[in-house]
Amino acid sequence: MENRPAELGQTMHGAAMLPGRAASASNTQPLLRLDNISKDFPGVKALANVHFDLRRGEVHAVCGENGAGKSTLMKIVSGVYQPSAGTITYKGEERHFSSTRESEAAGIAIIHQELNLVPHLTVAENIYLAREPRRGFLGGSFLVDRKKLRADAKRCLDRLGVDINPDRPVRGLSVAQCQMVEIAKALSLDAEVLIMDEPTSSLTEQETRLLFKVIRDLKASGVGIVYISHRLDEMSEIVDRVTVLRDGRYIATDDFVATSIDAIVSKMVGRSLEEKFPERTSVPSDEVIFSAQGLSRAGVFRDISFTLRRGEILGFAGLMGAGRTEVARAIFGADPLDTGTVTLHGHTLTITSPRDAITAGIAYLSEDRKAQGLAVKMPVDVNMTLANMEAVSNRFGLIDFAKHARATKEYIDLLNIRTPSIKQPVRLLSGGNQQKIIIGKWLFRKSKILFFDEPTRGIDVGAKLAIYRIMDELAANGIGVVLISSELPEILGMTDRVAVFHQGRITGVLETAKTDQEEIMRYASGYARSAG
Amino acid sequence: MADITEVSKQKSGTFSDRQKDIIQKFAALGSLFVLIGVFSATSSAFFTIDNGMTVALQVTSIAFLGIGATCVIITGGIDLSVGSVLALSGVVAALAVKDFGTPVWLGMICGILTGSACGYINGILVTQMKLPPFIATLGMMLIARGVALQITGARAVSGLGESFGELGNGSLFRVVTIGDDGFPTIVFPGIPYPVILMIAIAIAVSYMLNRSVLGRHIYAVGSNADAARLSGVNVARIVSFTYVLSGTLAGLTGCVLMSRLVTAQPNEGVMYELDAIASAVIGGTSLIGGVGTISGTAIGAFVIGILRNGLNMNGVSAFTQQIIIGLVILVTVWIDQLRNRR
Repeated sequence: MENRPAELGQTMHGAAMLPGRAASASNTQPLLRLDNISKDFPGVKALANVHFDLRRGEVHAVCGENGAGKSTLMKIVSGVYQPSAGTITYKGEERHFSSTRESEAAGIAIIHQELNLVPHLTVAENIYLAREPRRGFLGGSFLVDRKKLRADAKRCLDRLGVDINPDRPVRGLSVAQCQMVEIAKALSLDAEVLIMDEPTSSLTEQETRLLFKVIRDLKASGVGIVYISHRLDEMSEIVDRVTVLRDGRYIATDDFVATSIDAIVSKMVGRSLEEKFPERTSVPSDEVIFSAQGLSRAGVFRDISFTLRRGEILGFAGLMGAGRTEVARAIFGADPLDTGTVTLHGHTLTITSPRDAITAGIAYLSEDRKAQGLAVKMPVDVNMTLANMEAVSNRFGLIDFAKHARATKEYIDLLNIRTPSIKQPVRLLSGGNQQKIIIGKWLFRKSKILFFDEPTRGIDVGAKLAIYRIMDELAANGIGVVLISSELPEILGMTDRVAVFHQGRITGVLETAKTDQEEIMRYASGYARSAG
Repeated sequence: MADITEVSKQKSGTFSDRQKDIIQKFAALGSLFVLIGVFSATSSAFFTIDNGMTVALQVTSIAFLGIGATCVIITGGIDLSVGSVLALSGVVAALAVKDFGTPVWLGMICGILTGSACGYINGILVTQMKLPPFIATLGMMLIARGVALQITGARAVSGLGESFGELGNGSLFRVVTIGDDGFPTIVFPGIPYPVILMIAIAIAVSYMLNRSVLGRHIYAVGSNADAARLSGVNVARIVSFTYVLSGTLAGLTGCVLMSRLVTAQPNEGVMYELDAIASAVIGGTSLIGGVGTISGTAIGAFVIGILRNGLNMNGVSAFTQQIIIGLVILVTVWIDQLRNRR
């Protein structure tokens, strides 16, 4: 009990001090400064002479394609890795962090893309995990001071201006709420440097806006924020400076206002990227190849009807949780469907399991590649042929390995998949190549319609273009393509028509050429509605 | 371009899975040879054909169960019931012969099918009722043992006749010459039937895992059940199959064991499930699923069998043997972990 007022005071003091620190910070001395950082892994240089500096009260973005060294750099800052060469200067002193514990104690907190919370503990317990306030009992202090735990956690959450009950278990929270808990945890550490890795990758527009507001508040209180993201379009709202890395090398640091997204992208890929989306070559015809009529699933979606024509790419737009993924999964037989009919090439289908759907020629490419799309420990060839083992085996169920290898190689060539061999475990490949393997799997199955669910999430710019090209070619070859995406530019750039979802219903089907982001957002938020 | 650097980084930084697989296998195989070397040096009776056949015969039950356990564990499951199931199967076979007068072969088949039925129930519990495999097979372990004790009144079933012992005690290529003095001399002890069965089953299951669609699906389910389901694999059927296989092999083990004793003991096979799991784990099977080979499990079974046999010959007490085998399991899996981490 004795230490309670002291600690409380300290926390208050720390919080009160933050703006002061910001005011006293001189622009000449950055908060964090990395010079000539190199990191060698056996046989490869992951980072070579990288520079980076972070000022108080700024958001500094780090950009680069997958494998450019962003994560390695951040792991060095947070003490997970030790640099092979170079110096870290933090608050004017040269520092060596040999663990995340040390860097956290110094005030550097990192929020990983995969959030690290314990689902069965409460919000408050998560925020103070392993740092629980203690109280005395029988001469020792092994009991958790639950009152103080709760009060401290509440204070951290209040400072963020988010309304989360500290007593709730983390299990039931949304991704956005979990993120807020992580940020609260960072605040509870009195973090002066906050590293955020892909914080918006699974947030809705609205949640992203709230996150940005919190980031601006933190900025104003003098926290330096390192911001890693693939979504360059949203950076303009918060980012002050941007550093680009490519293949482990330092390319440039610019003031955000003095550069452009195109300039950043061309630095990332090392060439100027004249186009984000390919020229569409497929031409929609009047022939309907797939139609859904009155699909419903209690409490999830209702009365969903749409058609897909030959040569067309149909978009599914909407906010997260609007039912886009759920409809695709139900058509695919992965989730139950209460009512409604599905027709493919004139045949009405009865689908009760993914097996039925696959036999009929429907494919679904999950938004979560690693959890649902691939057996990541297994090699390329196993994943490529998994949905069509019949084609590479004899009637006794024995695999014909020559056919197996031939089929795998055919699709590796067709889709230009970069892998050292067909035996490479897919977890060692980049996101773009993993996605191509999944596409290959369904093409090898001779699928007639493919539902792409967020196909370019977490994939770097160059690979995105390749995926878009493949989608266009599929449509041109008469294969049905449905693109489910939360990124409106992608919807606008790639589709012919777009079905907009709002709370489990289609509020409108729009001609892509005649619409824009604002109109789609109006339908997605339920303000506008038309007969589908 | 970025892809290539990423790939090469991973490749040069760590061993490929295939290389790790080979290292793991040779590590287990190496320790097997070390054991053989040490025991040959410490006991002159160890490295003989007679003892070799004895070890092989002793290893058969661990190997049968281990092969089943490997398949179950590859799918990410576990089967704790095999020790009890083998007792029930052996008892059923013996009772069929003794009380119902069935021919021995038919009684044995009844026993083996009893094992399959137990495995089938395990499969239903896991795939339809969605019980965790640990719990489902723990229940089956208690039930099967209870039934075995119940139907025999907890007494051994004996007086089964010589033909009941044929499967467990007979052997192939046994060469015996009658000497001048009229006494037979055993030139070659022959290969016991159970050993032949073990080799045949090991090859068959290994072939199934590596060459067949079914085997491919078993690995896929263990590696990522969701992805397998969304690729059209009938996950429930694949998982059920592995439990049926494990139960069937437990049934066979029961018949072989009881046949060797020519007596059916309802108390036979206690803790055998742990030997089976240990042999799979020593052989590199991952309890997380997706990884495991029959050759590895065979090596694991022989490591355990040779340790027991060799330690016995050197007069090491049964208690010390347990300690040593426990340590061997810990060290092998620890080495495996170290490799996977790097």
